[in-house]
Amino acid sequence: MSRGSNPGFDRHITIFSPDGRLYQVEYAFKAITQSGLTTVGVRGEDCAVVVTQKKVPDKLLDASTMTNMFKLTARIGCVMTGHGADSRSQVHRARVEAGEWKYKFGYEINADVLCRRMADICQVYTQNAEMRPLGCCMMLVSMDPQQGPVLYKVDPAGYYCGFRGIAVGPKHVEANGYLEKKLKKKPKLSQDRTIQLCISCLSSVLSTDFKATDLEVGLVSKEHIKFRTLSESEIETHLVAIAERE
Amino acid sequence: MLEEQGPEWMSEEVKTGTTIIAVEFDGGVVLGSDSRVSAGASVVNRVMNKLSPLHDRIYCALSGSAADAQTIAETVNYQLDVHSMELGQDPLVCSAATLVKNISYQYKEELSAHLIVGGWDRRGGGQVYATLSGLLTRQPFALGGSGSSYVYGYLDAEYRAGAGRTDTQRLVVDTLSLAMSRDGSSGGVAYLVTIDGDGVEEKVFLGNELPTFYDQ
Repeated sequence: MSRGSNPGFDRHITIFSPDGRLYQVEYAFKAITQSGLTTVGVRGEDCAVVVTQKKVPDKLLDASTMTNMFKLTARIGCVMTGHGADSRSQVHRARVEAGEWKYKFGYEINADVLCRRMADICQVYTQNAEMRPLGCCMMLVSMDPQQGPVLYKVDPAGYYCGFRGIAVGPKHVEANGYLEKKLKKKPKLSQDRTIQLCISCLSSVLSTDFKATDLEVGLVSKEHIKFRTLSESEIETHLVAIAERE
Repeated sequence: MLEEQGPEWMSEEVKTGTTIIAVEFDGGVVLGSDSRVSAGASVVNRVMNKLSPLHDRIYCALSGSAADAQTIAETVNYQLDVHSMELGQDPLVCSAATLVKNISYQYKEELSAHLIVGGWDRRGGGQVYATLSGLLTRQPFALGGSGSSYVYGYLDAEYRAGAGRTDTQRLVVDTLSLAMSRDGSSGGVAYLVTIDGDGVEEKVFLGNELPTFYDQ
């Protein structure tokens, strides 16, 4: 076998480099931070919450048509961070996978199974030469019928895991540190506390005081099992509660 | 006599020789069906609910071959699931009916099932669609199944446009009862599903609860 692949091709397609790395996958991770939005997810006692920034770059843009929160099934919702078009492609695929599962097996897919399926699909892109990995990260939340609230994340490498709290995006390192501190003692968080923890985390690492229009909040809870996003006024209530506590 | 293949019903196709009805009223629809599934002369299931959900506020009534009808309903239910996720809102009744029609028409040589689609959506209110043989037509009311031929006249005479919810429910139950008493392939209990803007109501009328007519 010739010592063949030109030096440098390992950066162009997903094959191993001599030091055992997949450069394309690493570049995909860098692409996630390109969007400039940081996302935080936390699993509470009876709920699972995801919060992401909302930046409207253009004054002419209709903000109500822009969102990174998507419903995958009635019970499972997700927030996408990273490249916009890749995000929509992954959401569509997830919806189709969930629909096919229900059709084939007769019951609604669970969040961890859907997550594993999306991770397996991501892995295929890291092996096929003709397709590139997607430059986006999917964070799923759901009220699992057996396990209660769950929070899962899939990344372009095809790695997935369940989390008590996780952040992605440009400030994910600082945000993960913040969450580790706050969740170290495994507190039992109510719905309001969970939402406020997510918002405070973002506020703290981005050093910004948010307005209600700067955030998107998605959640599932025991009282409201279906995935929903909070309205501006609901977000405002939480921002006020955070300000009052400080 | 040399080839004992077992009883007839083992080899007969399972049909829902049936009566199915859907009637529109002011603000919604009522769908009704009997509950008999026959394989030849044998009643295979006497309590089958032939009103199958396609989505939250869209149901369909099954007739013809039981397997064919169920498969169409399940396929359309799957397609509507993904479609409504992508849309971000409840699908239209005409979308559901179109999906049913597309399958019925494309496979019209292989399938022998007729589905009536009825439901409520925000745009058009209560709607009933017939999809026999792969056509698509919206009608104020639709009948199907072997028992329907006995009651066309009754429904033609008794249907009133703009009737209310309870009157329409009574009309559907009366029609079903008449058909079930005349058609050998229809019988059992009567299932009713009423769909309007507020939700879905499912009711069962057991044999002794069905309205009786002159000979009963």
